[in-house]
Amino acid sequence: MYREVVSLMRREYLRWIRAPTWVISGLMSPILYLVLFGQAFDLGKLIPANVPGNPLGVVLLGAPNYFSYFAIGMVAFASVTAAMFSGTGVIFDKQLGIQQRIVSTPASRGAIFSASLLFRGVLTLIPAFLVIGIALLLAYVPGLAGLSVPAGVSAAGVAEVLVAILTLSLTFTALFLAFGFAADRIESYFGVVTILQLPILLTSNAMYPSGTMPPWLQDVVSVNPISLAVNVMRANLFGAQGYAYPVSTYLAGLIGWAVLLIGVASVLAYRSFRTGVVTSRRSAWSPGP
Amino acid sequence: MSGTDGAAKAVIQADDLHVEYASSRKNTPGTKAVDGVSFSVHGGEIFGFLGPNGAGKTTTISVLTTLLSPTSGRATVAGIDTVAAPAEVRRRIGLVFQTSTADAQLTGRENLTLEAGLYGLRPSEVADRIDELLRQVELTAVADRLVGTYSGGMRRRLELAAGLVHGPHIVFLDEPTLGLDPQGRAGFWKYIRELRDSKGITVFLTTHYLDEADQLCDRIAIIDNGHIIATGTPAELKDRMGGDTLEIGTAAGAADLTSALGAIPGVSAVARVDSGYRLKCARGEALVSKVVVAAQSGGVEITRLAVHKPSLDEVFLHLTGHAYREEGNGKAGATGAPGGR
Repeated sequence: MYREVVSLMRREYLRWIRAPTWVISGLMSPILYLVLFGQAFDLGKLIPANVPGNPLGVVLLGAPNYFSYFAIGMVAFASVTAAMFSGTGVIFDKQLGIQQRIVSTPASRGAIFSASLLFRGVLTLIPAFLVIGIALLLAYVPGLAGLSVPAGVSAAGVAEVLVAILTLSLTFTALFLAFGFAADRIESYFGVVTILQLPILLTSNAMYPSGTMPPWLQDVVSVNPISLAVNVMRANLFGAQGYAYPVSTYLAGLIGWAVLLIGVASVLAYRSFRTGVVTSRRSAWSPGP
Repeated sequence: MSGTDGAAKAVIQADDLHVEYASSRKNTPGTKAVDGVSFSVHGGEIFGFLGPNGAGKTTTISVLTTLLSPTSGRATVAGIDTVAAPAEVRRRIGLVFQTSTADAQLTGRENLTLEAGLYGLRPSEVADRIDELLRQVELTAVADRLVGTYSGGMRRRLELAAGLVHGPHIVFLDEPTLGLDPQGRAGFWKYIRELRDSKGITVFLTTHYLDEADQLCDRIAIIDNGHIIATGTPAELKDRMGGDTLEIGTAAGAADLTSALGAIPGVSAVARVDSGYRLKCARGEALVSKVVVAAQSGGVEITRLAVHKPSLDEVFLHLTGHAYREEGNGKAGATGAPGGR
């Protein structure tokens, strides 16, 4: 099992290193959001300075400024955007007969699925960490807002942040892999995925606090896996005051999403491995000379 | 070759295989791709499964290689049931698909290393074997180039090497030479013969090329519309056509030779045709001198003499009542004009 997974991940790595454009395009929108939108759209400036107390800190749940609040949302968004490309490789493999060959070997189907999930999952971590790095660096650029963590963060807090990023990556990698296993054509895959991207982002608290939203939207936001991951990260970095539930609840909810979507994706993968043999057999017909 | 004898030596055994693909519409019967196929393949032989496209060749190979479960019937490969223990069967067989399945963004060598990894083999274990395979299929020079830059023939050879990377004793090839030019096909036949001759590997291949089955295979099963309609060596199948035809041309107005030719030992039939005679016999070339002698003693000058071997085309036409065609299904082709030469 181990040898098969390593071989398949090595193949994915070689393909990726030779054509990394997917990741670059996946990285563009979060960086544009950080450098343009995050700098321009500063919620903090809308609150008059002479209001008593610290209304901004209350609204932003302890974040020192809007950009710091927003940057954590972009960490999650970057990993979701990168995960959007996870299913493309599966579709190409189906169309080019590569899946047929892999499935015809003694390698277990679990190994084949795990290799895709792990490699793609790890790949989506890269933009997430890059966004954190860029957001931290922006604090040192004169005239620009950057991510700051004034109170510092414990080692356990860092660990929880990392677990949240990893779990969110696996959740959306599994979701988009599921679409890849279900779709026959790249057009239908991107049709579904691009329809989903904005709703997934806008029904989360990645860009703005949910406190002012209508109740029905608040309900949706509270179960969105992006919100759950962002809550875990923000609570560890900026303080846990003001949240309805303890951090462990959000983390448990996020892990629940991951388990559910990995389960769905594995079922669709197994189905694709089984029927893929017959469908590609039929489409593999090619005329003689 | 008795039935029990064949079963004892059989490396691949199919017993009454049926495969029915479910119809996409309700209340319409499914397609019977394979309808009662039985045969056995002996160790160390090249066994050809010959038939037009859509005859059931790829479906049969899919069942034998565990990629498809038969609707009914049983298949064993290396004595192992393909449904009961598919993983055990897969470990023992090599499979070469009819389309290219290599990853175009990897080099030839990387593809072979990946394939080995899927059989649980470490790269260091198989590095020597991969070098050897690349040399055998003459890809050493391009081993470290991306497969996307390979020609069609190079890709087919890489597919063959991929099917052999784990050292199987039984290899399945689905239309191995599809799309190759004549030179490429002849080269590919050489590799396949080498497998049998140097390593004793049993080769099961499907083809829709009659000449390929004729020249390459030790034994052939002819399949049409999901049924096996004949099995035997190429020579045995051709013998069913009554052997060779000897065509003799004579000048117009020459004396009649019918009885003289019919008296030659080995001639089974003589027919007078427009410009001469047509003889049926077991081996035409052995009778040429006797025919010449008979003509000379009759005072007749021979203007033309040709030995015509029966082709599998004719065997196919004889067995199925319709001409061999390279595509379509049986019903459409059954009304086609006979294609005998």
